[in-house]
Amino acid sequence: MSDEHAARNSEMFLRAEKITKVYSDGTVALKEASVEIRSHEIIGLLGENGAGKTTFTKILSGLLPPTSGRVISPAGPVRFSSPREALDFGIGMVHQHFALVGTFTAAENVALSYARPFSRIQLAKTIEQLEALMEESGLGVPLDVPVEKLAVGEQQRVEILKVLSRNVDLLILDEPTSVLTPLEVDELFNLLRRLRDAGKSIILITHKLKEVQDVTNRIIVLRQGELVGDVQTASATTEQLAQMMVGQAIEAEAGAVELSDEELPASRTLKAVNRTVDSILQVENLTIRGNTGEIAVDDISFEIHGGEIFGIAGVEGNGQTELVESLTGLRVPDSGTATINGTNILGVDPRQIYRLGVAHIPEDRWELGLVLPFTLAENAILGVHRWEQFRGALSVLKWGRINQHVKQLMERFEIRAAGPGAPAKSLSGGNQQKLIVGRELAKNPDIIVASQPTRGLDIGSAYYIRQTLLDMREKGRAILLVSADLDEVLAHADRVAIMFEGRFMEVCSPADLTRERVGMLMGGVTEAKETA
Amino acid sequence: MSPQEAQRKSRLLRGIHRTVTGLHPALESLMAAVVGLLVGAILMKIWGFKPWEAYRALIQGAYGGGYELSNTLAWATPLILTALTFSMCLRAGMFNIGAEGQMYMGALAAVCIAYFVLPPGIHHLVGLLFAATAGALWSLVPAALKLLRGVSEVISTIMFNWIARWLGLYLTLNILVDPIRSEKSVSIPTSARLPVLVEGTSLSYGIFVSVAFALVIYFLLWHTATGYELRAAGLNPTAARYGGIRNKRTMFLSFILGGMAAGLAGATIMMGMPPTYAAFGGFPQMLNMGFNGMAVAMVGRNHPIGIIIAAIFFGGLSSGGGWMQILAGVPLEMVNVVMGAIVLTMSIPELIRVFPAIKNGTYKLIRSLRDGKGKAVEEGST
Repeated sequence: MSDEHAARNSEMFLRAEKITKVYSDGTVALKEASVEIRSHEIIGLLGENGAGKTTFTKILSGLLPPTSGRVISPAGPVRFSSPREALDFGIGMVHQHFALVGTFTAAENVALSYARPFSRIQLAKTIEQLEALMEESGLGVPLDVPVEKLAVGEQQRVEILKVLSRNVDLLILDEPTSVLTPLEVDELFNLLRRLRDAGKSIILITHKLKEVQDVTNRIIVLRQGELVGDVQTASATTEQLAQMMVGQAIEAEAGAVELSDEELPASRTLKAVNRTVDSILQVENLTIRGNTGEIAVDDISFEIHGGEIFGIAGVEGNGQTELVESLTGLRVPDSGTATINGTNILGVDPRQIYRLGVAHIPEDRWELGLVLPFTLAENAILGVHRWEQFRGALSVLKWGRINQHVKQLMERFEIRAAGPGAPAKSLSGGNQQKLIVGRELAKNPDIIVASQPTRGLDIGSAYYIRQTLLDMREKGRAILLVSADLDEVLAHADRVAIMFEGRFMEVCSPADLTRERVGMLMGGVTEAKETA
Repeated sequence: MSPQEAQRKSRLLRGIHRTVTGLHPALESLMAAVVGLLVGAILMKIWGFKPWEAYRALIQGAYGGGYELSNTLAWATPLILTALTFSMCLRAGMFNIGAEGQMYMGALAAVCIAYFVLPPGIHHLVGLLFAATAGALWSLVPAALKLLRGVSEVISTIMFNWIARWLGLYLTLNILVDPIRSEKSVSIPTSARLPVLVEGTSLSYGIFVSVAFALVIYFLLWHTATGYELRAAGLNPTAARYGGIRNKRTMFLSFILGGMAAGLAGATIMMGMPPTYAAFGGFPQMLNMGFNGMAVAMVGRNHPIGIIIAAIFFGGLSSGGGWMQILAGVPLEMVNVVMGAIVLTMSIPELIRVFPAIKNGTYKLIRSLRDGKGKAVEEGST
């Protein structure tokens, strides 16, 4: 069946009207987004991290209530207060992380999803139903094998089957291809097309431009909570989509404008003065596996010189985390080499890596960077607690010296806190991050690995931390800046690499890049292609 | 819910949270003790006893004079050590339920010194060393199972308690048995008995062993890099790894130290409790001391100094409970109920801290009740 044919049969299934979502901490995740969803169509939902994609689908699938706005079906307004209600209405979501019991078979997992407290599990009936459904949809899964023995693609199909067996009309898939092999992706897309032809609506959340162009009929684009595009796939070019996703120029958001105006020219001149000839960090043919054994970083090489900020841009989950973890001793890579001033750092304990002159500002400051119940003083020595200046004979800690050190840090990095004895969890996010930055710079490092250093911070703290990184560059340190904030990377890096699926799509000076091109590279497209 | 409303509500919740938990831990425990005593009093009132008299008898019996206080401290001696076993491992992020078994093994190792002749002083030291080593070795097996094979330490330590119990019975009645009295083991010779401090009570120099060990643990945890690593690994293993801390090593260390403490607890009973200085089949002198140590650890907020105070409180309940029976006519069953109520209430603050799930669950319940329908709770931040 062709797309045109499908379109002709399409009718309105659901309309979201002016949906706004404000979280209880004041974050505005969605601003008056209105979307119509029709049957017989696959909609691609595009957007960067934090654009509001997940919030939007959570509202549709009953996980979150909207702050204002409403969802309308042909029969009138609907309101779901739980995913179960949405499912009963005909909206099902397949999450990125599967909700399957590993030791149960596919049939048992589906039967479990029907179960209510004290209800009987009707396994034989479920198997019968599933077999009929599989025949009808062409979706094949072995029903009698524990799902933990199935490949990831098959597990995903179990999840889809679970939702389809509830007879849904709208299927929402959150980044379904991120865990799949190319062959599995093709199979999934064929399945989605068949479902569409059978009259279902499908929303596909993704950031891969090629995929959306391959399989969808219509594309909606969210940026910073706003609906910025709703176009027919056939009529949109890759450039247009990329542009909608990343925005026009650096926008007047979060103080980025003042920053880039002041610093862009400065960064260019500094580079010439301070960049050292010898590289500090040298990475060659690095290949790293992720948590599930997939190749997360695929054979990349680069070097960073002193007095240089090397930026890595890209949508999160394209190998940045694994790369940072390998360079800081938290993950052992598969193959390749990485040296700092000629000394190997791969597979070396973090404690030794810090001694070699590496500072690490981690992306997750609550999980990785701080022990929240610990005091400021205790957190300020994490990782350096065995260094001579803090530890005496018999491994006794010199608390006097440590407290003095913390007071200096508080003064130098403007950390506002009750004192060295205040628990780290009592600090605001900005002060917590300043504490981490202060601790890391006190290591007197040659290279600073900064991962999402300003995420979630207020404008003032973010500005301060960026400024600190620029200072360090001026002092001839090498800096690896990994950030999902495109503007941050483009405004501060001397060289920028755009990462997609574990590879650098391009490494160049930010001046040589247009935003459109960055958007395309982030979406995995190197050559613009017309899809008329 | 409008954004302003949502913000106000979450701020209110945070405010309540801060008022309840922002107290100094000691003050919190004191409040819990008052509430516990009140609950006990209400229970006694309901069943027609006189709470005021009963509590007076309890306090008199526990702390009323030198003799009473000595008995209380004698009870506290092993409790301090078994509580340290539990809290030491909890600080490192592990649940060591095996103090009971480790204590039995320590006790039997201490009994073994009856077979050597050594001058006093050295004999004592050897006894304590034997007991500490035996306790540590007994705790090493569950620790190794956990770290090498991923076996839950909760289950394996409980199983090891039973192994220790029956192995201990066999050793007492067959190997270490007294040639004259077959129901007990050989007695520890006078050269290795910890001297009694107060004549006519069972309070011995063992209390110094307990308190010294608690102080050593305190210093280790808060004043050495090793203890710092242990606490960091227990509170946030991911951040600890980032800080270059080897989590497996800290876990191992916590089990070794915990096992040593439990082994010493066995030794203080064997070497310090008159009149027999020997183990009996079934270990009547030690029974449940290991498990009670967990309650003491909770009441003492998992802090070595808090544990000393909590153990003295707990010892007071144990030794003064009898007086409630005699002076106020409260039957033994009721005494146990009242003590249970007090200990349970006093454990609550620390239980909540250790198991945040309890707190979160309670919040969710409160919120869903407030929303009226018990519907799905809003995600996002609070």
